[in-house]
Amino acid sequence: MPAGKPLGVGILGAGPVTQAIHLPALARLRDILEVRHIMDVDESVAASVAARVGATSSSSMDALLGDHTVDIVAICSPHQFHADQVIAACRAGKKAVLCEKPFAMNAGQAARISEVSAETGVPIVVGAMHTFDPGWLAAEGHWDDLPETAHTIRSSIVLPPNARFEDFATEIVARPAAGAPDYSDIDVIKSMMQGGIMGLAIHDLPLVRRFTPDFNDIQVLQARHVRPFGYAISLRTPTRTIELRAAMNSTWQPEWSFEAIAHHSALRIDFTPSYVQAGSATATFSRGTETTTLGPYSHNGYEGEWRELAELARGTKQPPSAQTLIDDLTFALAIADATVDSVAADHARRPGGIAATAGASA
Amino acid sequence: MSATYSVTATPGAEEAGAVALAVASLPATFGPAAGGSATPDVAAIAGGPGWTAEALHAIEAGSRGVMVVNPVPEDTAQLSAAAEAAGTAVVLDLRWASNPALVSQDGGPDAREAFRSALGTAAMLDSVATGAPGTDPQRLLGEHLAALLEVTGTLDAVSLLQSGATGYTFSGRLANGAPVSAHGVLTAARPAGVDIRLYTADGGVSVRLPEPAAAWPAEVRVTGPHGGLLLPTLYESAHRTAWRRLKEHLTAGTRPDDLTRFARLTALYATFADT
Repeated sequence: MPAGKPLGVGILGAGPVTQAIHLPALARLRDILEVRHIMDVDESVAASVAARVGATSSSSMDALLGDHTVDIVAICSPHQFHADQVIAACRAGKKAVLCEKPFAMNAGQAARISEVSAETGVPIVVGAMHTFDPGWLAAEGHWDDLPETAHTIRSSIVLPPNARFEDFATEIVARPAAGAPDYSDIDVIKSMMQGGIMGLAIHDLPLVRRFTPDFNDIQVLQARHVRPFGYAISLRTPTRTIELRAAMNSTWQPEWSFEAIAHHSALRIDFTPSYVQAGSATATFSRGTETTTLGPYSHNGYEGEWRELAELARGTKQPPSAQTLIDDLTFALAIADATVDSVAADHARRPGGIAATAGASA
Repeated sequence: MSATYSVTATPGAEEAGAVALAVASLPATFGPAAGGSATPDVAAIAGGPGWTAEALHAIEAGSRGVMVVNPVPEDTAQLSAAAEAAGTAVVLDLRWASNPALVSQDGGPDAREAFRSALGTAAMLDSVATGAPGTDPQRLLGEHLAALLEVTGTLDAVSLLQSGATGYTFSGRLANGAPVSAHGVLTAARPAGVDIRLYTADGGVSVRLPEPAAAWPAEVRVTGPHGGLLLPTLYESAHRTAWRRLKEHLTAGTRPDDLTRFARLTALYATFADT
């Protein structure tokens, strides 16, 4: 049930994620949340997107943070701006902050954010939408000791180009142009692997970490680039084998799964694709010949995170532990750094470098 | 009508290969050898270490056909030469690789053809083998590799990344350079089997192979720009398919190329020892 007047939402950055993910999710929550301010460095994009929802537009972060109708700030700008904008939003006295992942690009930034959040009392939610998916949350209530007993963890992400699902969700303005990467340049591959971890794998790394108690002791066994964008990464901790796969190609068929496997039980979660309002994930537990399926439920993780933000802003729910957010981030950064080092080392070992090979691996 | 070929099976072959069941499903061709029969037409043996010597012995004893259930990688050169000289048909009943969905016996659509059509635009191959706890990971790896080779033909630059009590991981490359990542998982939570997924520029091929203990059909799906296609399901176990192949070779008087193809698996498997 709505608790009084809807809370005001302001969004920093009006790109495809805002247009195709957050605005459609918020359109389903008009009784509790109302978009009141859209900011983008491109003033015409900000104005166009704001007009769709009857919000104020601006091209300045200060204008949005100074808007007293804005209770919750969502940070959907490029990664490098996240940390400073989160801190500024906390200091502006807002009631809650949503920051798209990753919320910082290094541990130092994460610690600063944690300090400011503690000092100001402003709760911060990182947009790892799968952790708010009702399918994941239902699994959490049923997995017993699986996080302690799982020995193998898999994340597999197969997605069509984002534009396919953006166009199912909205009418995009100002879509960024796609580049033509030079796969023979190791710096391009390193950048793509870094982007693969911090932009794609990061959706599920908090889930992986939940099943990896010894996450501080991780080793990369292989890291391979998959063309045009993706990765095949094998990791190991003293007690876990972790396999990460991703392929973004021109297929129409998405598949996004997370698995945790122990000797006597296993969990598989099948997530719906981002952008579309296709309901929640489905969680399936297997125990020998017995299987139990939970879900699907009617909303996805993006809607789930906005519901959480509304509760945090109203003070009806306790904020997530800052340490959890920091641990999730440092886990992702450690994997990203080790992955980049691994592809660089492989390149250095290969006579002639990547250009000498005909194939698709880095 | 009585069976044409008498069959004996060692206890190990019977346990691993459900020989009596397979033979009973081809009653016009095979039947159990009468008690005390000195040399059966077909000898079924288990493929544990030393199986090549045992098969050689069966050939020397005069068997016209030898069925080897789940052979481990082993040098087959001497056996191959002996089979050729004696005109004996040696067929390998491979846990997953003998599944009829991988290679059609009658010219129908199969996984191998689907893979060959897709390998040119391959972006990644991802595969998972599942076995029961207590399974020897090295043995599972060999069976997994055999299934992969059946559809990919070759794998380059294979390397074992890790192996232990809960499974293994290995990597490799397809002919076009696309990465291959495969791992084995030991668990009682799920049925044993193999999943193979080939991702291409605009779709791919996926194969799900069941255990040969029952005639569960494999699933082969081909995805392309115009949709997805499920290849016809074949309710025949890998065991029965192997026996049906042996029947065809015995009937036609031809020699199967199982040992030649298995030599490639053995050579590839040996490279893991170096990594």
